[in-house]
Amino acid sequence: MRIVVSWLRELCPTDLPADEIAERIIANGVHVEEILRPWDGLSGVIAARVVEKHAHPNADRLTLATLDTGGGAAHVAAGVANWEVGDVVPYAPPGSRVPALDQPLGVRTLKGEPSEGMICSPHELAISDDHGAILLLPPDTPPGTDVAALIGLTDAVFDIEIEPNRPDLMSVLGVAREVSAATGVPLVPPDVSVTESLEPCTSVASVEVRDAQRCPRYVARVIRDVRVRPAPLRAQARLFVAGMRPISNVVDATNYVLLELGQPLHPFDLRRLDGEAIVVRRAAEGEAIVTLDDVQRRLTAEDLVIADRAKAVGIAGVMGAAPAEVDDATTDVLLESAYFEPAGIIRTSRRLKLSTEASQRFERGCDPETPGPAAARAARLIAEWAGGRVLGSPIDVGSVPERHRLSIRPSRASFFLAEPVGADEVRGVFDRLGMASEQTDAGEVEVEVPGYRIDLRREVDLIEEVARIRGYARLPSRVPCIATAGGFDDTYAFRRRLREAMLRGGLREMVALSFASPGDLGLMGHDEDDAVRVANPIDAERGFLRTSLVPGLVRALRLNLDRQRRSAALFEVGHVFRVDGELRESERAAFAMAGPAWPGYPGERREFDVFDAKGALEAVLGALGVDSWHVEPVDHWPLHPGRSARVLLGDDELGWFGELHPRAARDADMAGRVAAAELDVDALRRHASHAASAADVPRFPPARRDLSFVVGDDVPAARVAGLIGRAGGDLVDAVTLFDVFSGDPLPEGRKNLGFSVDFRAPDRTLTDAEVDAAVTAVRDLVAHEVGGELRTG
Amino acid sequence: MTGPNVDALLQTLDRELERGRGLVADARTLEQVEAAEVSVLGRKSALADVGRSMAPLSEDARRQVGRRANEVRGQLTEAVAGRRRDLEAESERASLQADRVDVTLPGHRPRPGSLHPFTLMEREIADVLARMGFRIVEGPEAETEWHNFDALNIPPDHPARTMMDTIFLDAPGDRTVLRTHTSPMQIRTMEAQPPPVYIAVPGRVYRNEDVTAKNMPVFHQIEGLAVDEGITLADLKGTLETFFRALLGEDTNIRMTPSFFPFVEPGAQVEVTCFVCAGAGCATCGRTGWIELMGAGMVHPAVLENVGYDPDRFTGFAFGGGYDRLSMIRFGIPDIRMLWDSDVRFLERFEGLA
Repeated sequence: MRIVVSWLRELCPTDLPADEIAERIIANGVHVEEILRPWDGLSGVIAARVVEKHAHPNADRLTLATLDTGGGAAHVAAGVANWEVGDVVPYAPPGSRVPALDQPLGVRTLKGEPSEGMICSPHELAISDDHGAILLLPPDTPPGTDVAALIGLTDAVFDIEIEPNRPDLMSVLGVAREVSAATGVPLVPPDVSVTESLEPCTSVASVEVRDAQRCPRYVARVIRDVRVRPAPLRAQARLFVAGMRPISNVVDATNYVLLELGQPLHPFDLRRLDGEAIVVRRAAEGEAIVTLDDVQRRLTAEDLVIADRAKAVGIAGVMGAAPAEVDDATTDVLLESAYFEPAGIIRTSRRLKLSTEASQRFERGCDPETPGPAAARAARLIAEWAGGRVLGSPIDVGSVPERHRLSIRPSRASFFLAEPVGADEVRGVFDRLGMASEQTDAGEVEVEVPGYRIDLRREVDLIEEVARIRGYARLPSRVPCIATAGGFDDTYAFRRRLREAMLRGGLREMVALSFASPGDLGLMGHDEDDAVRVANPIDAERGFLRTSLVPGLVRALRLNLDRQRRSAALFEVGHVFRVDGELRESERAAFAMAGPAWPGYPGERREFDVFDAKGALEAVLGALGVDSWHVEPVDHWPLHPGRSARVLLGDDELGWFGELHPRAARDADMAGRVAAAELDVDALRRHASHAASAADVPRFPPARRDLSFVVGDDVPAARVAGLIGRAGGDLVDAVTLFDVFSGDPLPEGRKNLGFSVDFRAPDRTLTDAEVDAAVTAVRDLVAHEVGGELRTG
Repeated sequence: MTGPNVDALLQTLDRELERGRGLVADARTLEQVEAAEVSVLGRKSALADVGRSMAPLSEDARRQVGRRANEVRGQLTEAVAGRRRDLEAESERASLQADRVDVTLPGHRPRPGSLHPFTLMEREIADVLARMGFRIVEGPEAETEWHNFDALNIPPDHPARTMMDTIFLDAPGDRTVLRTHTSPMQIRTMEAQPPPVYIAVPGRVYRNEDVTAKNMPVFHQIEGLAVDEGITLADLKGTLETFFRALLGEDTNIRMTPSFFPFVEPGAQVEVTCFVCAGAGCATCGRTGWIELMGAGMVHPAVLENVGYDPDRFTGFAFGGGYDRLSMIRFGIPDIRMLWDSDVRFLERFEGLA
């Protein structure tokens, strides 16, 4: 919202500089985001009367003027010729400045003719975008008059961010009230007095409101015999810097009052209203209307329209329509000044995606008391700018709601502010805000809440008024005495540990957005029906919520390899979503790696593969104290059927690790192997150990035997290791695989597994005989269960 | 049989000393030293023979020969030991020489991990709040409209709700929005327990926005909530001062100005002394010396009523703000997209903070 400071000063005549005003109202909660100075570059431009007009002898497109500047004659060349002898124009003499040019003006020679400065278009004075014509000043302006002062091109402009609870600040008057409260300078409200003719409005027009809930108040005034012309320059300049386009004196008068009082108004051409009637009604389902922006819009029975006896002439509170618009031929104007229910305006404006100066105010909540004064103010301005007669007895349907009264206990205010605040001080605050108050017998202060302060509903709202007008800077500072222990919730503490564990796996953390594209779901083999759909996605890439962290990780791998990174090993911890009867949200930890496992010397030259994924997994689970997990080969998309496994612990599935199916990797534009794992954070947390014990650290040395078995190719090493443990019973302390080979001299289909086995008893050193017996048991069980032969020697 | 001649024995000893020194000096290997040692000091050596042949001598003569024999033995023993030391040292030198490497070659380094700057920032913040007595909790990202809006005093069709760019979900059940702030956890926590409540909530939040250099549809917030008997605006101010001083440095000041959030009243926006220029004014703070980091205020009585707390007995404060911008300033990150890009060249910069 742009507020012209010179306008503000009309309603609250303070002499403080603009930045000082801004500072004070900011401290009270008015968010002045920026102080603009559109006319900083304007100085020395004066009014001048054209006394001669000649064609330029050497250039068709230039015209020469001789000007009476009040202090002498001047000669200028101009590129447009919309002016005549006798017109008064803005003249920028040599040495003066205009906002549109960086440098002061000088004397130039244009095609052989000297030009002393220039005459200005509205664009050059920063009062309009129009640079197709020279600005014509009122003909009675004396030459030599300072143009900036004449049109009010002085002072700053505030750009104010409006919060949804303070629609009253969407007007010069609303901000002026805050300036008054902040400075103590009394408010000077705009003049709403109007001279009315004897003819009453009711004799020429009628208003019927068929939905009093959506339109609790409708005020109509009629102004007859107007002459539609441009509005005064000063008003046009104010509208322009506030962001509105000047149109005509009648339309500009309504916009002027909109900016000044915050009340949207709409002028209709009375003669174009069928039956000279206004009917406020719901739209018919499917009713079409062409709004003033030349767009045909289809309405629903939810929408409220302004109509006459035959047709809709506007969408209530949002935008008017062409059939009853004021134009140059209009002579009689019906002025609408109404109050519409905010929720209805919001729904219509959102559905039509049509947000206007009017709808923005109505949807936040206008002042139900203002339609009357605003109609009077606008009628006054129209009479002043366009001539015409303001008819008497304005039509007023509905009623002004009674103001409610709210009580504030000074003791409660003192409690919130942690400082004593007396009843007098409380009343002083509301005095400054222009609100009447009185002290009750109970010592409370009762405040009469004006209609424009829709945000004041409970005592605490009044306490905020006291706090903000006194200033938050005055608040004392202390810390609460907290009688409960702070710290980390279990899930939060575990997640920290989990990330540490990921670090030990040699992984780098990354983050990805929480969305998934259909391609991401396809990569994981997930059905779109089982994924959570975003109802209002910005683009197709964000059509779903992610079902897995893996697509994001793989995308990141590809990005790094594309950028000439040799390899990457990344992890993410985050939420995933799916539909299983209802929306299910769970947390995952996942990692992925691709490229050379080691970037250079020293080290083995090889690509990341399933064993790197498993190694990282082992490091992660080890760091979390998750023990006794085992793996089972897995065959489902998108995993490599021979190089992936599920990770299980008891009945719980912790997740999976392995390589992506080569086809899945190719689909993701990855040239080589992609090793990855994805784990369920809740399951990890259930199985993580939170305690450690050193009670059973072994005191006796182990007896170490290397046992090599020849077994069938398809026998998993873990199966043999398990058999060793089972057969050796309590005496087997550790089983470490140290060798795997096949081929010569072994027969086809057989492989050798070499295990280093530590036998140990907690309470004694084992004898050779005990160990030999255990080895025999191991040999027999492995032979019996998987047909393995123990190789000797 | 003639008895031993003292002079002859002494001559033998001198000869053996001479011979032994020669053998030891000529030894080129530890084996040759060993052989020399056996030859001159062993049981079959001339020196040993001299010892054995002394018995018939007079006491004087025995003493004379014995002393000399001990001297010779001592000198030869020393010569052998010295030669052995020399050869051992030489051998060690040779083996060390053979073992030399180029120490400028890279080390066998375990693959390094690193944490994301969002995590690092979140940890700093959560650590401070936990030390101050807040319990760090988390909540779901897919929320009900009740928790995200209604319970927080943001009714349907309220501009504060319609202006929020919410991401809506199309899924069975009542969790139909991605939370637009971490504030729903205020409600979830209060619904689950009676006062006093002192919690802080870090986490992801969502807005339906395009990706730009300054905005992402996903960002991170920290939320704080204190509800107890006797909580006032002064407690809010003091808590924020303590928090920001611990996080950003003891010289940090805060500035609260009135502002509107539907779930607090009175409400405030919170600015802190710019920690890039220490308040002098720079590009980061838009030359104001202040950086806006949070919204805050006293918990709205309607919110307390919505969770069944008695607003006459209990009051509270809440504060909340994004920390993505804080991470960007702290780590000198010029474009927010870098945080989401997963480029290892970016991620590895944070290795030292893991």
